[in-house]
Amino acid sequence: MSSSATTRRPGKTKSATLADRLGWVGAAIVTALVVMAIAAPWLAPYDPTERVGTPFLPPSADHLLGTNDVGQDLLSELIYGARVSLTVGIVAAIVALVLGTTIGILAGYYPKRLGSFLMRGVDVVLTLPFLPLLIILAAYLGRSLINTILVIGVLIWAGPARVIRSQVLSLRSREYVLASRTMGAPDRWAIVRHVLPRTALLATGTFVRAVSTAILLEAALSFLGLGDPIQKSWGSILFWAQARGAFLTPAWKWWVLPPGLMIMAASLGFALIAFAMEERINPRL
Amino acid sequence: MRRFGLRRLDQYLVVFIVAVSLNFMLPRLMPGNPLALLAGVDVGLMTPDERAEVIRQVGLDAPLVSQFFDYWRAVLTGDLGFSYRSGRPIGEMIGERLPWTLLITGASLVISAFFGIIIGAFSAWRRGKKSDLTLLTGMIGLQSLPSFWLGMLLISVFAVQLGWLPSFGAVTPASDLTGLAHVRDIAEHAVLPIATLTVLSIPGVYLTMRYSMLEVLGDDFIRTARAKGASESRILFGHVARNAIAPVVTFLAIRFAFAFGGSVIIETVFSYPGLGRLVFEAVSRRDYPVMQAAFLVFTVAVLLANLLADLLYPILDPRMREQ
Repeated sequence: MSSSATTRRPGKTKSATLADRLGWVGAAIVTALVVMAIAAPWLAPYDPTERVGTPFLPPSADHLLGTNDVGQDLLSELIYGARVSLTVGIVAAIVALVLGTTIGILAGYYPKRLGSFLMRGVDVVLTLPFLPLLIILAAYLGRSLINTILVIGVLIWAGPARVIRSQVLSLRSREYVLASRTMGAPDRWAIVRHVLPRTALLATGTFVRAVSTAILLEAALSFLGLGDPIQKSWGSILFWAQARGAFLTPAWKWWVLPPGLMIMAASLGFALIAFAMEERINPRL
Repeated sequence: MRRFGLRRLDQYLVVFIVAVSLNFMLPRLMPGNPLALLAGVDVGLMTPDERAEVIRQVGLDAPLVSQFFDYWRAVLTGDLGFSYRSGRPIGEMIGERLPWTLLITGASLVISAFFGIIIGAFSAWRRGKKSDLTLLTGMIGLQSLPSFWLGMLLISVFAVQLGWLPSFGAVTPASDLTGLAHVRDIAEHAVLPIATLTVLSIPGVYLTMRYSMLEVLGDDFIRTARAKGASESRILFGHVARNAIAPVVTFLAIRFAFAFGGSVIIETVFSYPGLGRLVFEAVSRRDYPVMQAAFLVFTVAVLLANLLADLLYPILDPRMREQ
């Protein structure tokens, strides 16, 4: 016990293997969910938009997870729900990645006037009350898949931008960047040739982390009734479960429990991959 | 690169200006008629004369710049306007709701700080051992919990299945309880929302404490303490934890702001009559002025929490004070 605090090496390797192992678990979860989303029409027993049974049925051989308040098959809704969650999560994270990387690189490469201006913007976005702003923007813009993606994307880029900026800031003063500048290469060259490739791994890590966040945010928006009314997502299944009081009846076991587990699995899958990548890039354990 | 104390005031001022300007711009930039967003009436059903009258009342006929200054004057004098659903002054509505949100976020923050700091310190102390890695993995798992789902499950189990606690509201309606019974009633209603928020806050406190401890454990003065023969528990609590606590306080301030905003979701699940629930009600009734006013209150709360952390940091971390 007494030596554990000072001997760092053995701990590091153990933690590193833990991070790797968790990363693979995450990858397995994500793969399973992607397969489920793509193969949804073959996997789902019914069309999730059709009324295929009596409303509020408990689980049976015909409907493994029962039916909802209008008689749609809950298992089919659950399987199709993977499509919305993953699409919103990934596309919103791409929006955040593009914004965050662009602003992070510009702020890091031109740290003086442009950089301090941009970082001030980053600070403002990070300080604003996040969830209320998300909800208000979604309420003003109206309910559609594109709006959900945009609202989430424009609110989560600031964290990645800050991480990428500090990396670029340190790359900027490396010899090879200085050399290419002394030889008269334009900034564009140095950024594309030297800075971007060495930021790619870090950017990928922040991207995967952003997917995990975006999945939780999409679920929260849909749960509040601010998601696309046509697309069924795990969050919107829970919205209806809440609206119809399913969690006050035994139905919570098949109507409330499964969608939440799916949201958690999806978010956790990406979070574990991100954790493993972050440990590789910057071992903090 | 961190700056402390009152030097970040200018940044907070910028945030406030941005928040107010966003509030002003959003209804005016959105597609469609801003009148519907500002006055909240069925504009389509009105005669042109009535419409002109409403436009004049709301001030939409004035030039944009003067609308902007009028808006600022209203915000700075604390005039938050009226709800166009209930017609009540918004300031009054927020005043009723705010204490409930402060109660559950404040209580959950204290409890999660207590557990997060202790478990984080323990984990760092056992670094790389099985108990540390198990705790770490568990906390990463907790971070992926959807907050509203956790709340729904707690209601299903503790309020419905077991019947131990009430499932909604902040007090039993029309019960006219007084004194201790009243306090007990409030406490029983607050248990599940506080438990939900606490479970969600612990992982962040834990991770911050653990990393902060690991940094301090590598410092020279810990080796000195060990060399002079200090006991393990004295090193852990007297030296390491003491010096590792400052970043946790900063995190707690940020977490408070986040939990405060997160009350929109938690209070919706528990039908808890706080500020978050007010936002949800305003959103579903398209009561835009209430939505906006609540957003401003959230912004001010976030700024105050940050300010408090900035002021506390040098007190907690003596190294900062000397510089």
